[in-house]
Amino acid sequence: MNTSAANAGVSNTGGWYAAAWLHRLASTRLTLLFIVLLACGVIAYEPAAGRGAWLIVAPLSLGAANLAAAILTNAVIRQHTALLVFHLALLAIVLLAAAGRLTYLKGQLELAEGEAFSGQLMQVERGPWHRSQLERAVFSNEGYTIRYEKGVRRADTRNAVRWVDESGREQRAVIGDHTPLTLHGYRFYTSFNKGFAPVFIWQPFAGVPQRGSVNLPSYPIHEYRQALEWNLPATQTSVWTMLQFDEVLLDPDKPSQLRLPSQHALVVRIGEARHELAPGARIALPQGVLTYERLSLWMGYTVFYDWTLPWLAAACVLAVAALAWHFRRKFAAQPWDA
Amino acid sequence: MTIELQLLWGALALYTLAGSTAIGGTVLARRVERSVLALIVIGLVVHAVSIGLRWERVGHGPFITMFEILSSNVWSLLLIFALAYWRVPAVRPAAAVVMPILFVMMGWMLVTSPGDGHYPPTYRTVWLYIHVFFGKVFLGAVLVAVGIAGLILLRRAGFGVQRLARLPDSARLENLAFRFMILGFVFETLMLIAGAVWAQDAWGRYWAWDPLETWAFLTWLTLAFFVHARATFRLQPHHSALFIMGVFVLAFLTFFGVPFVSTAPHKGAV
Ligand code: HEM
Repeated sequence: MNTSAANAGVSNTGGWYAAAWLHRLASTRLTLLFIVLLACGVIAYEPAAGRGAWLIVAPLSLGAANLAAAILTNAVIRQHTALLVFHLALLAIVLLAAAGRLTYLKGQLELAEGEAFSGQLMQVERGPWHRSQLERAVFSNEGYTIRYEKGVRRADTRNAVRWVDESGREQRAVIGDHTPLTLHGYRFYTSFNKGFAPVFIWQPFAGVPQRGSVNLPSYPIHEYRQALEWNLPATQTSVWTMLQFDEVLLDPDKPSQLRLPSQHALVVRIGEARHELAPGARIALPQGVLTYERLSLWMGYTVFYDWTLPWLAAACVLAVAALAWHFRRKFAAQPWDA
Repeated sequence: MTIELQLLWGALALYTLAGSTAIGGTVLARRVERSVLALIVIGLVVHAVSIGLRWERVGHGPFITMFEILSSNVWSLLLIFALAYWRVPAVRPAAAVVMPILFVMMGWMLVTSPGDGHYPPTYRTVWLYIHVFFGKVFLGAVLVAVGIAGLILLRRAGFGVQRLARLPDSARLENLAFRFMILGFVFETLMLIAGAVWAQDAWGRYWAWDPLETWAFLTWLTLAFFVHARATFRLQPHHSALFIMGVFVLAFLTFFGVPFVSTAPHKGAV
């Protein structure tokens, strides 16, 4: 017996099984099942709880396998170029979305006026394969204006930012609302979170002075809770800080703009001692001197990284164009009013 | 009453007259098509002036309050229906199905408050117009399909077999309804894409499964299911018609139910 011929027979049988399986996987009935499962998954999924992503991932994986098999084997799809392009684009969208989820980053940060972003986020969620380059995305908040309409309804936000580009040149831009700052793929958006930021200088007796801001709770949402407790750097000393002013900054009866009050007092409580500070005032403490420098504003940002965005957009446009093309051809064969 | 509201009432009266004429024409098997179209078109013009006056007065388009959204959708749905009515004569008897649906929306509009709403900063973008335009074409195309599907179901239920006798057979009607569904499918896909682009700009994420996104996606999935079921099994015309009704109900709830029931941040306020 010729062994090589026998081997070929075995591998042919294997090939035959594989082809049969591929055909089964390509079943359009499976597509219907996949759509039902995906719909159920989408209804059951609770994004707020951050759980149950598998409810979407599992049916999508089945759908992607079904779709890939159909693209390889289904005669109808293969013979109609537009239909083929549509389904390929659909597969690309699923794969890109998956790649995006594995590598994305979403986070929040706050910067006082004049402060530069150091790469530290207050809250962050990221895909398991995200390789952070955030430390390269350095920019500083150069101040902002937010207009309010009657009834204290927020209108446009304009935030000046500054950064140094790759060639070492300084760049400036105004971002806000729909316009993010994009640095190294990270998109920084202003958020509705913003407020007052007293700036302090802490001069310990042993060590170098440090300047820092205390970002009070978001304004005007927490208008009546403009206080915060924080610790002096590298000490156990807790400092309670409250901002007081009488002025109506955002008048419900007319348009206005978020700005610093023309007069304010900063109440600072350290242990039993209560101080009312004006800008420039100092408090002598056992470990050093705390100076209240001035009142400033902070801005809250969200940062989003997803390299797939332009590819996803392209795949979506391709999908919808191919879909329209396919049906245009199909319907053109017979008039609409036949 | 302001002129803006007077014009609105006038338009609604014209639509009601058009609808009643269409229904009467179907029941009595009379040819009333030109009058129906004329009444709808005059109504659309009057309604457009009313919407324009309000736009001018409040400084933004009809996108915010339920009253505005219902008003602008009654207008755009009727515009799309009138276009189909004009260009595709087989669609005309569907007016007897479509107009009552619009009556419900008009009635609902009349009990909502016509007061002003707040126009959030996230709405100040061209994507709003693109997204809304696609959405309106989507819903309008599905409504036309619903009208035709209604005729198929009426015929199947034995209503006015003679009155509907002049129509093409149900299989041909189904094919026509399917075409409008596909038009809707293409525009719904465009609406979802435009919405995702807008969401990326406005909220820094393109998709987050908020209730509106979820239900819009479910509507899209239902349509995909319909397309595939139709290609996989030889669906009877009345089965297709039921699918079409189902898609419309989902789309209707997504447009007019979810944003006003959920407190999720899709309205972009704060
Ligand atoms: C949910 C995502 C999907 C959508 C929106 C979609 C959409 C479509 C559309 C619009 C058609 C054209 C139907 C016609 O010409 O009447 C079509 C046909 C087809 N699709 Fe999909 N598809 C999807 C997923 C899939 C998957 C996962 C498969 C894998 C089996 C598949 C297989 C097919 C086949 C075989 C046809 C040709 C049907 C025929 O005309 O006989 N589709 N699809």
